[in-house]
Amino acid sequence: MLKSMMKLAIGAFALLGPAAAAQAQDTLAKIKEKGVIVVGVKNDYRPWGFLDPSGKIVGMEIDLVNDLAARLGVKVEMIPVIAANRMEFLNQGRIDMILATMGDTADRRKVVGMVEPNYYAGGTNVLAPKSANLKQWTDIKGKKVCAVQGAYYNRRVGQLYSPELVVFPAVPDALNALLGGNCVAFLFDDTLIGSTLASGDAKWKDYEMPLASEDPQLWAIGVRLADLNGPFGEFVKKASTEWHKSGKLIELEKKWGIKSSPYLKATHEKLKGS
Amino acid sequence: MADPDLFGRCMADARGALSAFEAYFKCLADIERINFSIFYDSLDRGRFLVGLWTTVKLSVICLVASVAIGVVGAWLQGSRFALTRRIVQGYIQFFRNTPPLVQLAFFYFAVGAVLPRVPDGGQMVPIVGSFGWAVIAFSFFAGAFNVEIFRAGIQAVPRATVEAAEALGYSRLRAYGHIVLPLAFRISLPALNNNLVNLIKTTTLAYAIAVPEMLYAAAQIWSEVLNVREMMNVLLVTYVALVGLLVWVMGRWERAMRIPGYSA
Amino acid sequence: MMPLRSGTDMAVLLPAGGALARPVVDARAVGFTERTFSPAVLGALLALFALAVAAAEAHGQPASAARAGILATLWKWAPLLFSGFLFNLLVSVLSMALGTVAGLALGLAQVSLLWPVRKGAGIVTQFFRNAPWLVLLFYCMFLLPFDVAVFGITVPLPAWFKAVIGLALPVMANVSEIVRGGVRSIPIAQWESAEALAFSRRQILWMVILPQSLKRMLPPWMNLYAILTMATTLISIVGIQDGMTLVRSALIAEQRTELFIPMYLMLLTWFFLYCYPIARLTMALERRFAVRA
Repeated sequence: MLKSMMKLAIGAFALLGPAAAAQAQDTLAKIKEKGVIVVGVKNDYRPWGFLDPSGKIVGMEIDLVNDLAARLGVKVEMIPVIAANRMEFLNQGRIDMILATMGDTADRRKVVGMVEPNYYAGGTNVLAPKSANLKQWTDIKGKKVCAVQGAYYNRRVGQLYSPELVVFPAVPDALNALLGGNCVAFLFDDTLIGSTLASGDAKWKDYEMPLASEDPQLWAIGVRLADLNGPFGEFVKKASTEWHKSGKLIELEKKWGIKSSPYLKATHEKLKGS
Repeated sequence: MADPDLFGRCMADARGALSAFEAYFKCLADIERINFSIFYDSLDRGRFLVGLWTTVKLSVICLVASVAIGVVGAWLQGSRFALTRRIVQGYIQFFRNTPPLVQLAFFYFAVGAVLPRVPDGGQMVPIVGSFGWAVIAFSFFAGAFNVEIFRAGIQAVPRATVEAAEALGYSRLRAYGHIVLPLAFRISLPALNNNLVNLIKTTTLAYAIAVPEMLYAAAQIWSEVLNVREMMNVLLVTYVALVGLLVWVMGRWERAMRIPGYSA
Repeated sequence: MMPLRSGTDMAVLLPAGGALARPVVDARAVGFTERTFSPAVLGALLALFALAVAAAEAHGQPASAARAGILATLWKWAPLLFSGFLFNLLVSVLSMALGTVAGLALGLAQVSLLWPVRKGAGIVTQFFRNAPWLVLLFYCMFLLPFDVAVFGITVPLPAWFKAVIGLALPVMANVSEIVRGGVRSIPIAQWESAEALAFSRRQILWMVILPQSLKRMLPPWMNLYAILTMATTLISIVGIQDGMTLVRSALIAEQRTELFIPMYLMLLTWFFLYCYPIARLTMALERRFAVRA
C-alpha cells in the first residue's frame, strides 16, 4: 500500500507521464508500455475478492485478474473499490478495468463498457436468521433489511417489496449489523450469502438463505466505453470467451466453494463446441 | 446550449402534470442533463426532506444532551473524591483523544451486539437502535469537550465572587447553581457555541451506521438517479446554510448574554 | 498565624466548608516537563482492553486448532491493521501541511487592508468552516478530476490524494481563523511602533507581528492537528483503505462477532496513544505561552 503510494507520488511529480491528455487512447498499448495493468477489485466480498491476514487480496476474481495479466505479460496492481466509486474510478482513468462483482444493467451500460460474454450471473437473495421465518419475498415488507450502498438491486427490491432498507457504506458493516440484530435480513447477491453460509463458521449456523434467488443479473468486466470495441476490449472479450470454453470458470467456482451456477454450465455448453 | 424551442416544448409538455417550478427542473434534467431530481420528483424530495428533518432532530437532541453532560461533568470534576475526579478525567481523555467515527462504530457494532434484545413486532431487535447509538456517541463526544469548556468557565469566575458566596453562607451546591454557573456559562459561551457548531457537522458521521440523515438521503438519491454532482452541491449548500443559521443565532445570543466590562 | 486553606490571611474569616476551600494548585508550579502519559489513564485503558479480550474469549467459542484464540487472532492481524493506522497518520501529516500553507495565506488575506480581499477571504473561510468535513471529503472524492493538466503535463490524482485535499480544506479554514486571531491579539502598540520605524506593512507582518503571534497560534494549531488525525478515519467511508477499513475487512475475513470489541478497542487504543501525548503537550504549551492578563 505504502509502496504503491510512493510509486504514484513519484510518478506524478517526476512529470514523466507520457499519458496524453485524453485517456480514450489505446489502453492496451499503454498497459503493455507501462508493464502494469490497474484493476479495480473488491476486497470485502467473499469469495470473489477478500483480504487474507497478510493484506493480500485473494479470491476468484483475483485469479481471473492474474490470468489476464499473465496473458498480457504485465504486472498487476489491484485497487480496492466499492460499488459507489468503481465506475467513477474507471472513467477518470484511475483504473483500466473493473472486475469487482459489477452487475450488468442497461443504465450502467450508458456509463461503462460491459464485456461479453459475462463471466458470471448472480441472483439476489437475503441472508436471514432461521428464526425470522421468511418464506417468500413479500415477507420482508415493512421489515428492516440491511443492504449495501450502490447495489443495483436495492431500488428494485425496495420498490417491489417495500422493506425498510438500512443501507451501509460497505459489506462488512451490513454483515456486522445483521449479526448484531439491527436488521432482520441482509439483502445481497446469492454467491456471497452462499459462501458465507458454507464457510462453516458457527455464527452462521442459525442463518439461512430462505428465498428464491431472484432477478438473475449478469456480472460483467467493465472497461471504458471508448475501449469496448478497441484492442483492449477485444482482448478481454477473447479472454472471457476462452474462460467459458475451457471450463476454467467452472473450475475456479469449485476451488472457491461457490455453488455451481446454471449460467456458467449453460454458457460452457454453448461455447464448448465453437 | 440546446435549442430554446426544445426547452419551451418540454415545458409545455410537462406543465400538464407538474407545477412550473417542477417542470423547469424536469426539463433541465432531460435536455440540459443537469439533474436536480429532488425538485421535480416527489419521492426523492420526500427522502431528502426526511433526511433534513432527521439531521435537525439528531442535532437538537445531541445539543441538549451534551450540554447536560457538560454541566454534570463539570460539577463532578470539582468533587471532593479523587476517584470521581479521576473517572471524569478518564472519560474526557478517552472521548477527546479517539476518533468519533471509531467510537460510533464501537458502540453500534461492538457494544450493540452484546446488549440484550427486546421483542419488536415478532422480531428480537437490539435495545438501542442506530439513531439511539448516534445520539449516545455524539452526546458523549461533545459532552467531553463541554466538560472542559465549562470547567474553564468555572475557573474563570473570580475567586473573590466565590469567597463572597462563602461569606454569605451559600452551600457548595447552591453557590454552584446560583452564582458560579450563570457566570461561567456566559464566559464559556463562545467556546460552547464553537463546540455546538462542530456537533452539527459531526452528525454527518451517522451515515456510517445507516441513520437516515441528510448525507444518507443524498447518497441514496445519487446512487439511484446517478446525479452525484447536483446532489453534492445541494448537500453542501444546505449544510453550510444550516450551520450558518446556527452560527448567526448563536452569535446573536452571545451578544445578548455578554458580560459588560468583562474582557474576552 | 497559619494561612487559611482558602488562601486569605484575614484572621476574622473562619475556614469555609472543606469543599469550597480546596488548595489551588498553581499551574506554573507543575512545570513544562509534564508527564506525557498519566499512568492512571494508561493503566485504565489497558485494563479495559484486557477485560474486553477476556470477555470475548468467554463469549466466543473455545480456541481450537482451526480457530485461534482472541489474542492470537489480534496478533495475526495487528501488523496489517497497524500499517493502516500509519496510513491514517501519513494522511493527517500531509493534510495538515497542505492546509496550514493555504490557511496561512487565507488568514493573512483576512487581515488585508483591501476590503474586497478581506471580505472574500472571510467568506471562503466561513464557508469551509461551516461545511461538515465528511461532505467536503465526499465532494472532493467525487468531483475532483482524476488528473490535472499542469503546464501541459497531465498529473494523475490518486484517490488518497483527493482525500488529502478534501481534509485540507477545513484545516485551511481553521488555520485561517487561528492566524487571524493570532495576528489580532498582538497589541496595537506593536503595529504603531513598527510603523513609526518606517516598516512597510508587509515587513511589519512578516518581521514583527507573525513571529510574536506564532507562539500564541501554536496550541490551537496543535489542537487542530489532533482533531484532524481523528478525522482521517472519515476516509474509510469513501472507500479508501485505512486502519478503519482494514479493521472492518479483517472482521469479515474472520467472521467472528466476539472479535468486534477487542479489534475496535485495539484501534481506539492506537489513536489514543498517539493523540493523548499531543493533547498533553498542547496543554503544557498553552500554560507556558499563555498571556498573563
